[in-house]
Amino acid sequence: MSTMDQKNQGLQSHAPGATFATRLHEWIATSDHKKLGVMYVTAGLIFFLIGGFEASMMRWQLSWPGLNVVGPEEFNRLFTMHGTTMVFLVGMPILLGVANYFVPLMIGARDLAFPRLNAFGFWLFLFGGLLLYYSYFGAQGLYGMGSSPDVGWFAYAPLTEKTFSRGHSTDYWILGIGISGFGSIATGINLIVTILCRRCPGMSLMKMPLFVWLMFIDAILIMIAMPPLTAAQVMLLFDRWLGAQFFDTQDGGSAVLWQNLFWFFGHPEVYILILPAFAYVSEIIPVFSRKVIFGYPLMVAATIAIGFISLGVWVHHMFALGLSPMVNAIFMGSTMLIAVPTGMKMFNWIATLYGGRILLHTPMLFSLGFLTQFLLGGLTGVMLAVVPFDWQVSDSYFVVGHFHYVLFGGLVFSIFAAIYYWLPKVSGRMLDEKIGKWHFWLLFIGFNLTFGPMHVSGMLGMPRRIYTYQADRGWELWNLLSSIGVLFQIAAILFFTYNVLNSLFRGKKAGDDPWDAWTLEWATTSPPPEYNFKEIPVVHSRRPLWDEKHPEDPDWKYE
Amino acid sequence: MSSKEFHPRPPQPEGIEIPAPTSSPFTCAFGLTLVAAGLVTQWVVTIIGFMLLIIGAIGWFREVHPDDQEEIARIQRGPLPITPRTSKVKRLMGQERHRQRIPAMIHPYSAGVWGGIIGGVVMAIVATIGSLIEHGSLWYACNLLSATILIGVESQTVEQLSQFSTTSFVVAMIIQSLMSVLVGLIYGVTLPMIPRFPLLFAAVFVPLVWSGLTWATISVINPLLQDNIDWLWFIGAQITYGIVTGWWIINTEKIGTMQNWSYLERVGIESPGIPEQGESDE
Ligand code: HEM
Ligand SMILES: [Cu+2]
Repeated sequence: MSTMDQKNQGLQSHAPGATFATRLHEWIATSDHKKLGVMYVTAGLIFFLIGGFEASMMRWQLSWPGLNVVGPEEFNRLFTMHGTTMVFLVGMPILLGVANYFVPLMIGARDLAFPRLNAFGFWLFLFGGLLLYYSYFGAQGLYGMGSSPDVGWFAYAPLTEKTFSRGHSTDYWILGIGISGFGSIATGINLIVTILCRRCPGMSLMKMPLFVWLMFIDAILIMIAMPPLTAAQVMLLFDRWLGAQFFDTQDGGSAVLWQNLFWFFGHPEVYILILPAFAYVSEIIPVFSRKVIFGYPLMVAATIAIGFISLGVWVHHMFALGLSPMVNAIFMGSTMLIAVPTGMKMFNWIATLYGGRILLHTPMLFSLGFLTQFLLGGLTGVMLAVVPFDWQVSDSYFVVGHFHYVLFGGLVFSIFAAIYYWLPKVSGRMLDEKIGKWHFWLLFIGFNLTFGPMHVSGMLGMPRRIYTYQADRGWELWNLLSSIGVLFQIAAILFFTYNVLNSLFRGKKAGDDPWDAWTLEWATTSPPPEYNFKEIPVVHSRRPLWDEKHPEDPDWKYE
Repeated sequence: MSSKEFHPRPPQPEGIEIPAPTSSPFTCAFGLTLVAAGLVTQWVVTIIGFMLLIIGAIGWFREVHPDDQEEIARIQRGPLPITPRTSKVKRLMGQERHRQRIPAMIHPYSAGVWGGIIGGVVMAIVATIGSLIEHGSLWYACNLLSATILIGVESQTVEQLSQFSTTSFVVAMIIQSLMSVLVGLIYGVTLPMIPRFPLLFAAVFVPLVWSGLTWATISVINPLLQDNIDWLWFIGAQITYGIVTGWWIINTEKIGTMQNWSYLERVGIESPGIPEQGESDE
């Protein structure tokens, strides 16, 4: 029976009536890129809720001057864990998970090149994250109580030295992030090899979907950027335990060295986080505009340019340090340069929309949200790249506003777009459109209400990372607005959670190709079988399914 | 090239080989984490972790040596076949093919340049008439414009601003011509992209937005200048420019873009055997 068959596919591939233990074993022992992808994204979303909880506590504390919801020490832990979680345990696993699931499908492959290494990478990430959070119980703070790291997500020296950071909390930060970093490197290698070696016949590099191109460059960036961080962390461990003095300023070490090493990782890292967002919207916008992506070769070129330039701008995080005017000027130039390929991409997306038959389904709404908010974040980024301006607002809420517009307004919105677009492929069931629209609008309002006013409070001089402030600074209104926005966001996330759970059990059946899309993942069943494709497909253009659907006017005539 | 897109390879008979499930990577990762965790808890944890790491590594090695452990996945119901769409896809602007870049017809760049120059001249005339009426001077608007660059002009009295100054005149001329031509070019490129009422866009929308922006930011950019501008005449001059330039551009004949030309045609090579412009197909 076909219904029976359908039940036995993909996610539910265990025999009917399997015990809990066999099911658990199946997930633990799997090396299937799709199962690993699902686990990555699920874990990332759970960490997203934890990180969101930490953020909400901070906003509650800051909603009004002089509150005492959490004390100063707890506040330090909250912002450290929030930042670390969102970057390393939410952004990274979700981008790796989505790439895991869809890169092989889009290039017509049966799995990643090294399936077992893939499993290894995932478990390293998960255990690294758990180790980090175990610090809440295990790390000895000053008073012998467990507690989490509190040195900020970029862990500046010499605050991290033994003298200033007693106990083990900083060690937990180093080890937890270090281990999950190993996992990212492993998966990065895996993606690169897969994309280079596992493409189906006919799929030359210039016929890959843009998604695959972006994840390719992303994986290369991971390979280049993660090792310096790991190295710096090992050096810090040596400082703390073996009496080395790399970053110990009291002993002739250099705090600036840490900043250089960290940001040499840190800036590429923010691009590692945003390239996947570009990847998702580059697939979604054309499908919901019913047009081919505008300027594919230029998009590829811009991606490579971004990857390249993003390796040479890290000092813009150190403008306030007092480096020489020459150094500042050079990095101001390179930072502004990166806006050029990024701007090209913006124009190409807009040109794709232009004249298209635009369908405002939820994935598209989130993509359009991405476009507007990422644009604003990019503009404040260019403002920050201007050295004298940066001197005024560095380390203020203006910077916090900037990076949330790119990371939340950009990355997180695009992740939601991706979930609404691809979850039907993963689970075989549609998400509800109506709840999806509630989710979008509440999040859109909440996000802008929270992070828009931060630009103002930052210009008014409010420093970041303060746990409270006095009433006479004129910051009250802006902080209150920011905190009210959180309520909308919580409501939005509730809608989202309900929507996902509801769809998994009761959602409308998706069918193979619910959006009438063009890339190979839609040519197999939803969810795809373990082997993805019974016969390895052969493609002739960037939109193989278009060619199938429109034999009278195929794409390969134009490419 | 064949139009059949998927050439099926002969399907494997019993099923498809996929890697057998293995918990070794899990064990390895867990072991490695315990090794690290032991450093901040108890040394026994490190020992246990190390042992797990070894066990996992050996298991992993045996998984891939001498041959990869495989498992046969049962073939399941395949996807529904993809069928050609019967409904025709709507074409942009009545073109034959789906790969059309719009706008397909544009104004030549020269239209933007000429429109900009003419608009700029008429705009200057309107501004000068405004100066004459409000301040009885031909040079007032001209001096104010030069104050965008020249230092000190903005702090002059109305008397002084009404005098002719050669520097101001030259600077104002340069600013006015540069800006007029540039904005004209931008108009020339964007107007064909405005789906309806391009003249409204050129003559009302852009001048009002620009005036609004200037009005909102001038107090920051140049506080002294703020008091001296006659806003009504300012807006009037902008709108005049918009009307004249927009009208000029819209009334030039449109030309096709080169998007359907072959590379040889674009670089201007003509020879027998090369299809005429726009005729090429593949
Ligand atoms: C046009 C592109 C961009 C430019 C010119 C730019 C510029 C800057 C500058 C100059 C800073 C330092 C501000 C300071 O600390 O004083 C900064 C901070 C930051 N940016 Fe961007 N940025 C851009 C895009 C992005 C993107 C795409 C992301 C991430 C997806 C991002 C994430 C961040 C983060 C996380 C920080 C703060 C790091 C911290 O201090 O904790 N930026 N940006
Ligand atoms: Cu940066």
